Amino acid sequence: MLVEKKRNSFIKCALLFLSFSGSLFLLSGCWDRVEINDLAIITAAAIDKKDVNQVELSLQIFIPKAMGGGQGGEGGSGGENVTFVISQAGVNIADALSKLQADFPRKIFWGQCKVFLFGEELAREGVYESLDFLLRHPEPRERGYVFVSKGKAKNILAMKTNLEPYSGEAVREIATLGSGLAVTLQDFDELLTGASQGAALPYMKVASKKGDKESSYDYTSFIGAAVFKKDRMVGDLSRKETRGLLWLKNEVKEYTVTVRPPGEKGELSFTLGTVQVKVDPQIKNKEWKMKLDVKVTGMVIQNGTNLDVNDPNSLKIVQQAFQKSVKQRIEGVIGTAQHKLKADIADFAEEFHRKYPKQWKRVEKRWEEVFPNVKVQVQVNAEVRRQGYINQPEKAREGVDNE
Amino acid sequence: MKEVKISSLQLSMMMYPTILATAILTVPSVTAKFAAHDLWMSPILASFMGGVAVFIAVQLHKLYPEQTIIEYSENIIGRIPGKIIGFFVLIFYLEMTGEIARSYSEFIVSSFLFKTPIMVIIALMLLVCAFAVYGGLETMARAAQLFFPAFFVPLIILIILLSPDFKFENVFPVLEEGIVPPAKGAVVLSGWFAEFFLIAFFLPFLSDRKKAMKQGIINVVAVMITLTLVNLTVLFVLGVSTASKTYPLMNAGRYISWANFFENLDAVIMAVWILGAFVKLTVFYFAVVLGTAQWLNLSDYRPIVWPVGILIAEFSFWGIPNMMVFARDEDQSFPFYSILIQVLFPLLLLMIAMIRRRKGENRAVNE
Repeated sequence: MLVEKKRNSFIKCALLFLSFSGSLFLLSGCWDRVEINDLAIITAAAIDKKDVNQVELSLQIFIPKAMGGGQGGEGGSGGENVTFVISQAGVNIADALSKLQADFPRKIFWGQCKVFLFGEELAREGVYESLDFLLRHPEPRERGYVFVSKGKAKNILAMKTNLEPYSGEAVREIATLGSGLAVTLQDFDELLTGASQGAALPYMKVASKKGDKESSYDYTSFIGAAVFKKDRMVGDLSRKETRGLLWLKNEVKEYTVTVRPPGEKGELSFTLGTVQVKVDPQIKNKEWKMKLDVKVTGMVIQNGTNLDVNDPNSLKIVQQAFQKSVKQRIEGVIGTAQHKLKADIADFAEEFHRKYPKQWKRVEKRWEEVFPNVKVQVQVNAEVRRQGYINQPEKAREGVDNE
Repeated sequence: MKEVKISSLQLSMMMYPTILATAILTVPSVTAKFAAHDLWMSPILASFMGGVAVFIAVQLHKLYPEQTIIEYSENIIGRIPGKIIGFFVLIFYLEMTGEIARSYSEFIVSSFLFKTPIMVIIALMLLVCAFAVYGGLETMARAAQLFFPAFFVPLIILIILLSPDFKFENVFPVLEEGIVPPAKGAVVLSGWFAEFFLIAFFLPFLSDRKKAMKQGIINVVAVMITLTLVNLTVLFVLGVSTASKTYPLMNAGRYISWANFFENLDAVIMAVWILGAFVKLTVFYFAVVLGTAQWLNLSDYRPIVWPVGILIAEFSFWGIPNMMVFARDEDQSFPFYSILIQVLFPLLLLMIAMIRRRKGENRAVNE
């Protein structure tokens, strides 16, 4: 009897063991198993127009071997490539992608793609179609940054870089460093679906430094902003105007303002401390008015004038010049947006919508006509807070201005 | 069977994920469709329905402390009509369980496991749930208790991590179109809050029955606050584009970027969702199984756990050809169906029971 019991428990154990080990085959989740060495990781993507009704999709693909093998201290243009570019035309992105995939040994993976570039030609025709793919497909991240390139976007991908491992990274760094505009895919979607129907994307191009064979090189240059109305690019802003736009959007970070105070021979430069922009839309007697209240503090980093900022009177002159310069920059970009481009890139529409929902309802459909007539009043309050490690300009210490 | 006891706190920990698991993913989008930037008000308005459902369940429970809706509906309106009501209730819960299983696996298939057959995901989840239900109410309650922090904490962390991307001005203008759009959103959301009536299946097992009403209301408020927070988070991050997303919280979660390296937290949302879906499915599954056993006058519900599981898997495909139909059903017919079965039917029962009770008392006094 005891033996029988033992045998029974043995059979029980064996059955359990078999059923458990059998379930292992089910638990591994084989269908979606993807090894990292079966993936082609996209670092940046470019979408260009090609011929009639065709788009060209270019992908910058990461080569893991090159990164792991040690790029060496040399780097520079002679270094091994970390990425390469593949491209393919198709009727839309999905089509081009499937054609690319057919000829490609690894599964194309969007999850790490942080840069999306639109070629200017495509941008001028409209980007909704491409945007739909990027937002609908589960892999591309909404955190990726969107750019427009002057000329073909593909060229930026193919470019060699000096400091960053690949051009996609270089472009992204330029956007996030704060000197330029940084617009994510999500922001772009929001701006286009929002009240203003206008957006400004960073505008890049490949510039080249001419020299002899050894010293000439290409680099990505931030040349301003591409302005969108609905999904179409309608114009662009210069670099200076883009900086002005950053003031409006309260996104100024790394920034140097250089001014020449009236009656002085040299220039004075400030870096910015805190920047506060208050936007206050007002509607009085059917007159739409936008009041901008800018508060900024600065620190002197170079003083080529004879003005000693320690002197209250000089300080006043300096601050006024500072104030005026900031004001001009902001007014400059507003003028361009209102009269030249007629595109609401600073999102005034949303501001009015938030404060005056009822009045907004009435102009919602014809905002395009109303926007250029909105009066803008810019008030800048600039203060110089610090003057750096020396307290008098070099010139003043020589005693030149003492006569 | 009835010696199994759970505390009212455990019941709350089961019900909280039960309501939220499906709600946090799709509700922001559904309410945004109606209420745009006033979507955060909808949960507050809709929570009223939760309160009503809890009140009805508790009142009925007070009249028939040892019975569930399947049993007392026979006592209240007679055997045959009671059976008919019970049948409708059971079919509703069976269908809902199938839909929950489907929407859970659709989410997994469309975001993570693209190539895995959907049947495998449904079957594996139902298998796990079946184990839990077979293990009994105490097993389920303890599992829910164990998972509760794992469901709740990541949700809070998610909101904190997203805070740098908040654009608070997105809530303005408040009530642009008046109270009607958020109220419309609230009607849809009421369908979820009506699910609180599920406690009617669990109240007979409570060890501290006196706390049931209080705990139930606290629970409704907790769900309301969480949903409002989730809706606000999504609004702050995604703004006007919320309505166009299928799973807005997923989009928001993917948007997290903390110090440029703490990114791509989709997996956290998936984990929360799986835990929540598990608890939700077990609660519905248990209600179906227990109700069916009582409807058929079985002494134990365990023998029908497996067959009902297969039926649930079938129901997850019947009537849902694709996700577009499902999404339309979710905001056009589900709320009314849900309120009809889980609030109006019980309310009717409660009223008849009250009148009968009063008549009975009168008769007793007269005699």
